[in-house]
Amino acid sequence: MKKVLILFVVLSLFLTGCWDKREINELAFVQGIGMDIDKDKMCNITVQVLKPANLATSSGGGGGGAAAGKPYEVYSSRGVDFAKAFSNFNTELSRTLFLQHNEIIFIGENLARSGIYSMLDFVTRNPEFRRTSYLVVVSGGTIDDLMKLSKSVEKYPYREILGMIQNQKNTSSAYVCDINHFVETLETEEVQPIVGRLEIVKKDGKPQHARFVGAAAFKYDKMVGLLTEQETKGIMWMDNLIKNTSLVVDKGPKGDKTHISFTIIKANSSITPKVNGEDVSFDVKINFDSNMIEENSKYNLTDLKMIKGLEDLQQEKVKSEVLDALNAVQKKYKVDSVGFGQKLQEKYPKVWAKLKDRWDEIYPNVKVNVSVKATLKRSGLTSKPIEPR
Amino acid sequence: MVESILSGDTPVFVDGVGKSIVISTRGWEQRSVAESTTEAVVRGPKEAFVETLRVNTSMLRRRIKNPNFVIESLKIGKYTKTDVAVAYIKDVAKDEVVEEVKKRLTKIDIDGIIDSGYLEEMIEDNPFSPFPQIEHSERPDKIAAELLEGRVAIISDGSPEVLVVPTIFVQFFQSAEDYYERYYISTLFRFLRLAAMLMSLTLPSIYVAAVTYHQEMIPSPLAISIAAQREGVPFTTLMEAFLMEFFFEILREAGIRLPMQVGQAVSIVGALVIGQAAVQAGLVSAATVIVVAITGIASFSIPAFNIAITFRLLRFAMLIVGGTLGFFGIIMALMMILAHLASLESFGVPYLSPLAPSNTRELNDVFIRIPWWAKILRPHKVAGRNVKRQNYTRG
Repeated sequence: MKKVLILFVVLSLFLTGCWDKREINELAFVQGIGMDIDKDKMCNITVQVLKPANLATSSGGGGGGAAAGKPYEVYSSRGVDFAKAFSNFNTELSRTLFLQHNEIIFIGENLARSGIYSMLDFVTRNPEFRRTSYLVVVSGGTIDDLMKLSKSVEKYPYREILGMIQNQKNTSSAYVCDINHFVETLETEEVQPIVGRLEIVKKDGKPQHARFVGAAAFKYDKMVGLLTEQETKGIMWMDNLIKNTSLVVDKGPKGDKTHISFTIIKANSSITPKVNGEDVSFDVKINFDSNMIEENSKYNLTDLKMIKGLEDLQQEKVKSEVLDALNAVQKKYKVDSVGFGQKLQEKYPKVWAKLKDRWDEIYPNVKVNVSVKATLKRSGLTSKPIEPR
Repeated sequence: MVESILSGDTPVFVDGVGKSIVISTRGWEQRSVAESTTEAVVRGPKEAFVETLRVNTSMLRRRIKNPNFVIESLKIGKYTKTDVAVAYIKDVAKDEVVEEVKKRLTKIDIDGIIDSGYLEEMIEDNPFSPFPQIEHSERPDKIAAELLEGRVAIISDGSPEVLVVPTIFVQFFQSAEDYYERYYISTLFRFLRLAAMLMSLTLPSIYVAAVTYHQEMIPSPLAISIAAQREGVPFTTLMEAFLMEFFFEILREAGIRLPMQVGQAVSIVGALVIGQAAVQAGLVSAATVIVVAITGIASFSIPAFNIAITFRLLRFAMLIVGGTLGFFGIIMALMMILAHLASLESFGVPYLSPLAPSNTRELNDVFIRIPWWAKILRPHKVAGRNVKRQNYTRG
C-alpha cells in the first residue's frame, strides 16, 4: 500500500507541474507597455510582445539565418480601468503576458495631463511590474506611434528606447525617473515630481524615431507642462544630477561669434535657503570642472587670461540654463520641481511649518540667487591649436 | 598452525619438541607497484598501493622511519582469514580513536573480506547516510601524510585502497597535489573544486527552477534566448533536464565498463546523439544540453570519486525538488542536506569540522592552504595530545 502511494506521488510530479509553474516558452514577454486614456475616459493599454523565435539569432531547428519576421507584435486593449483593460488581453492572446522583464512604462500625454494616480495604483499593486521600471511621458505622438517606430539599430523599438534612457543616465541631458522615485516624490510634500520625456519625431506625418530629451513637470500626479532640454538641464544642475554632459557656448571670450564645446567631467551643486523674517530666498551654488573638446577660433590656451575667459563663458551659459529652468517651473508652471521647499524644510523646519500652507503662493515669487564657478581642467591633446601656414 | 600453512608459511617440527618454528615462506604472483590510476597527479609521487598487504606496509614504513609508527595485524573473515593491518603513529594519533578502530574491527563477523570497501561499510558511523564517512586512497604519500596528522589507516590484504579515519567532509575536496604545488595555486584549485561541487549538486535544479518558476530572475536577453530555444520542445523543462541527466549517466556508466577502444566509440556516439542530434531534432533545447554538460564536467573535477557519486545521486533529488517547488524547494533541500552533514560524525570527529563546530585556526587548511612553514599545528580534533607539528621556521 505504502509503496503504491509513493509511486503515485513520484509519478504525479512528472505528469503535471505545480500550480504556478509556467514554462518559459509559454510566456508572452512584454517589453514596453504604454498606458493612455482616450476621449471617452476609457483606459488604453498597449503592449509590445516579443516573439523569441524570431528574435534569436540562431534558433535550434532553423539551421541558419533565414530572414525571420518581425520580432515583436503590438497589442492594444481598452477598458473602464487599467485592470480591466489588462485582463481583456486574455481574449486575444495565446500566451500569458509576462511583465517581469519590462523596464519601461510609457505614459501617454492625455493620461499624464489628467492624472496618473489610477495607473500608478495598478502598477504598484501588481507584483509583476518592476518597481524600478522607468516612467516616461510620450510627447509629440501617441503610444501607437511609439510602438511602430521604424528607425532602430536594435531589433525592436523597446531596446532602442531602453538604450537611450540608460545612455541619458550617464550623459544627463534628460531626466530619468523610475516608479520608486516617482512615488517617493509624490509622497513628499516639499517637492513635485518630474518625469523623463520621450519625444516622437515625425517625418511626413509618419513616426520616424524618438528622442529622449527634456522632461515633464508634474503637480502631484498631474502633468502641468513639458520642459525643454535646456530647462531640464537647468533643473538637473540645481538638483546636483549632472554627472557627465556636454556644454556648448556660442560666443568667444572676446565677444566673437563662434562655437566652443566643453564636456563636464565633475559637477556639484548646493541649494542653501536663507530666512529673513517672513522673507525666504535661496542661494544656488554650482561648481564644475570641464574639458574643452572643440573650438574653431585657434585660441592659445597657454594664456591664463584666455582660460579665465573660457571659464566665464561656461559660467554664463550654465547660469542661463538654470535661469531658464527657474523661469519655466517657478513662473510658468508654478511647481516646485527643484525641491526648494524640501531644502527649506531640512534647514528651517519651523519656518517651513509656518509657510507650507501658503507655499504655493510664496514659491513663484521667491528670490533665487545663482552663482556658478567653472574650472577648465584640460584642453584635450592640443594646447596650441594647429596653425596652417 | 593450519592457518600459517594455508597462508604459505613453512612450519618446522623438531622431534621431541612440543613447539614448531614457522618460517615465513610466503610467496605468490603479485602485481608490481604501478602508477596511480584513480588519483593521478602532475607533481608528486606516482606509485600506488598494490593488492599485497606487506608491500603496502613497506611503502608506508619507507616513508615514516620512526619506532612509534605502529602496524598492528588482525585477521578478519571466517573463511577468507584476510590480513587487516591498523597503522598509526603512537604519539600522534588519539588513543581513543585507535581503540575504537580496533574495537569495531574485532566486532566484525563476516564470512569474508574481499575489498576494503567491505570494511568501510562494516565500521562507518552512519550506515544509512549517502555521504562516505571514511576516506580511502591508493596513494602511499597521501596515507603517510594523513598518518602524520594523527589519523589511523586500515589496510586490508587484497585491496589497493587504504582506509583512513577519522574523516572530515573537506578532505574529499583536497587532492594530494595541493600540498606539492605552490600554495596560491592550490588555494585557487580548492575554490574551483568547491564551485564545481556546488554546481554538480545544484546547477540543473537551479536552471529548471529558474526557467519554470522564476523567469524574472534571468537577465532579459538570456530569458528570451532560452525561450526561443525551447520553442517547439515537446517536454517540460524538468522532464527534459531529467532525461538528459539520465542519458548522461548511462553514457558514463557504459564508458567505464567498456574496453578503452569501444569506450571511445560510445563517447563519440553519445556526444553526437546528445549534443547535436537531440537539439537539432528539437527534442531538447540547447540550453539544457549545455547545463547538463557543464554539470557533468563539474562532477568529474571533484577529486574523490566516492563523494562525486554521492552528489550525482543527490543531484537527481535536487532536480525533482527544484522542478516542483522552485527555489523554495532547492533551499529546503540544501538545508536538509546541510543539517544531515552537520549531524554526521566519523570516529568521534564531527563531519563538518573545522567549519561546524568552527575552529578558525584550522581554517587555514580548508578552503585555502597555507604554506608548509606556517602550518604549525595538527587538526586538534583528530590528533591527540601531540598537536604541535613543528616550529615556525624555514630553512
